[in-house]
Amino acid sequence: MSYAYLFKYIIIGDTGVGKSCLLLQFTDKRFQPVHDLTIGVEFGARMITIDGKQIKLQIWDTAGQEAFRSITRSYYRGAAGALLVYDITRRETFNHLTTWLDDARQHSNSNMVIMLIGNKSDLESRREVKKEEGEAFAREHGLVFMETSAKTAANVEEAFINTAKEIYEKIQEGVFDINNEANGIKIGPQHSPTNPSLPGAGGAGGSQGSSCC
Amino acid sequence: MGDVLMECMEIFSQDGVQLKSAQATYVNYLNLVGTLYITEYANSNCKRCLEWKPNDVTVDSDVQDQEWAVVNTVQKRSRTFSESQPPDASTRPKFLKVNFNDIKSFKISNKNRQLTIFDGKSEVTCCFIFQHGDCDYLLSLMRGLLKTVSAKRDKHLYIVIHGDDPETAQLDKSFAELNIFQDSSHPSWWKLVKNFQERPYETTFETFSRVTDFVYRSPDQRDIDDDQRELLHRSLTEYASTHCQGDYEVIAKVPELPERKDYPRGRPLSTEQWKNLQNHEGKLEDVDQIKLMIFRGGVAPNLRYEVWKYLLDYFPWDSTQVERQKLLCEKNDEYYNMKLQWKRMTRVQEDNFSDFRERKNLIEKDVNRTDRTLDFYAGDNNPNLQLLYDILMTYVMYNFDLGYVQGMSDLLSPILHLLKNEVDAFWCFVGFMNKINSNFDIDQAGMKEQLQNLHTILGFIEPQLVNYLDKHDSGNMFFCFRWLLVWFKRELSFEDVMRLWEVLWSGLPCDNFHLLVCVAILETEKQALMENNYGFTEILKHINDLCGKLDVPAILVKAEGIFHQIKEAEHLTDNIRVILGLPLVGTQPSPEEVISISPDSPDEDPYEQVYNTMQHIIT
Repeated sequence: MSYAYLFKYIIIGDTGVGKSCLLLQFTDKRFQPVHDLTIGVEFGARMITIDGKQIKLQIWDTAGQEAFRSITRSYYRGAAGALLVYDITRRETFNHLTTWLDDARQHSNSNMVIMLIGNKSDLESRREVKKEEGEAFAREHGLVFMETSAKTAANVEEAFINTAKEIYEKIQEGVFDINNEANGIKIGPQHSPTNPSLPGAGGAGGSQGSSCC
Repeated sequence: MGDVLMECMEIFSQDGVQLKSAQATYVNYLNLVGTLYITEYANSNCKRCLEWKPNDVTVDSDVQDQEWAVVNTVQKRSRTFSESQPPDASTRPKFLKVNFNDIKSFKISNKNRQLTIFDGKSEVTCCFIFQHGDCDYLLSLMRGLLKTVSAKRDKHLYIVIHGDDPETAQLDKSFAELNIFQDSSHPSWWKLVKNFQERPYETTFETFSRVTDFVYRSPDQRDIDDDQRELLHRSLTEYASTHCQGDYEVIAKVPELPERKDYPRGRPLSTEQWKNLQNHEGKLEDVDQIKLMIFRGGVAPNLRYEVWKYLLDYFPWDSTQVERQKLLCEKNDEYYNMKLQWKRMTRVQEDNFSDFRERKNLIEKDVNRTDRTLDFYAGDNNPNLQLLYDILMTYVMYNFDLGYVQGMSDLLSPILHLLKNEVDAFWCFVGFMNKINSNFDIDQAGMKEQLQNLHTILGFIEPQLVNYLDKHDSGNMFFCFRWLLVWFKRELSFEDVMRLWEVLWSGLPCDNFHLLVCVAILETEKQALMENNYGFTEILKHINDLCGKLDVPAILVKAEGIFHQIKEAEHLTDNIRVILGLPLVGTQPSPEEVISISPDSPDEDPYEQVYNTMQHIIT
């Protein structure tokens, strides 16, 4: 399938916060509570449209246990976006955010867009982390924040798509080097030759994205 | 005439402007203070430019740089420079020059004292700090000279809208229409040029092959007549036949491996064979032979229940029926003792024991995420989940330092599924963990060592592939991580996992045979990886996607063939001998070993000896 851009995402966070379920909800629109725990890394992909352009999201879903951190680090490289996930019903997953964030910042490119996600918002009765706390953490560290539920699908689309929009805007602003794949952005095969640099503020675009099969 | 072309007008200048960051070329001028200009050239393609020149060009930078880098408080320091007024415009040596046409966006920050220019190709093209006041005037000038809009996300970021330049568009189009290079944006062309300089030989071939691809593979899209194709084909084959042998001699000669032989798989060990090999006390008569049969063909499914207990060192191979009965009682007690230890832990104890709590929480989570699609573990409140949980918790008490690491539940699941008995499954799991507990080191040292060993062996068998992986950021072999961590549990069907595991548990034909299984698979995938020119991501994805597509018997045949090639290779290194547990050069087996294992032929190892005597049984 043709696309104008491919963005690489990575989903990180403690084990059992729902990383794989978020991915599955986003790519397959279903919730599978009995999904096998993730070993190493798994992939998902979905096409979205932003500003009339087809964008392919290639999402890397990682194992969360501390022991695997050193391996996971190698997957940060070349990611344009990261979803940092915690579980609103388990405070310790929120407490570990700083170490995750340090890790992500240290091993990714400086422009990587990080979205903070408080998952399992459907389990209101078991909530241990207030929404305001998530918001404050995000504000303090310059992240975008959202509470989601992989089970009910609430905000799942938004989380992935808003991250993509943010990346897209950065491209428009020239902050991202789209020709360097280390930034986690790849130009679609049909698009690269004629359009190495983008048209200014998104005006004339669009036609390219839809012209291909 | 030439003078007229170079005529330059200064629209703006400001001194006390420090260069904060710039492309690598300007590294020697970083942190120096200078003058920033906007210039306009009367008769040139690059009409307007932003230019910067340091105050004192003669300053030797090396020492200077280090000092500045450490101090990094340039704004506060008052350094005086000899030159304070802008010199004559026509003679001035310009240092940093950014064509207005190349500015993609620019940003004002740091209380309007900092200007950053982006060109959309590199993260930052250049960044200046205005030490004498703000850059408001410059900003208004630039906004007047360039068509800009403020970014939605950041109102201090100005995006430049460039008018369509017909010439550039035309050039891009003509490159695009060639379309030989899939990603032929300009940098790829420069990369090609650079490659020609650095690796002329490979690059030439690579490029030729792309031309061939272009001609052969997309004839429907291009107007190439058959004559041309025929000509190209003929020239390539003629070249190959006349030049190949002679030319390849020049390149360093890789020592040849012995010929690869096929070692056909055998039938699974049957109940009848098993019974025949036990004496009247229930003691196994010929353990080496049994192990070899298991290595060759695995164990018949209905016999696994019994044989796995030996393979996983629960039952000693030389035990009698009576001894085993006694052992069962002892192991039963020992298990329940350990189980009680965690069962009896009070709430307060748990609250005060964070390491224990952490392991417990993790097991609780993972038991619910292990093979739940199998009937045996499916559904809510399935009692088998409780068994899985209890065994893993008891293992934490048995080996607290190792504790619980993700992947262990995957290793226990088939064992429990087969044995369906808590105590038996626990002790068999202990046996399995004793074989591979370094996989679960908290610092992953064991995994890293295995990945390194795999790299070493693969380099011996497939140097070309290893070379390719190294060049494509994959020399760490992380893409084989899941294979090694849970011994292919995630890649194979349940039946295939059981077959592969029992073969590997036999310990034949050498240590770390599972690494040769990896080599066999990678060798099979070599072509796909290299011909598609896969990079880090694609390699990882391709290997992940092999899940469900692996042919275990074929892989084992290949892996065994590889073992013999390695073993018989003249250039075998001690490094690999150590990994595979082969005797090092110059070391003789101890006299006892020679006598007990192979009295007739001291040069042969047990595997080899039994293998030879077994030929009639297995075929």
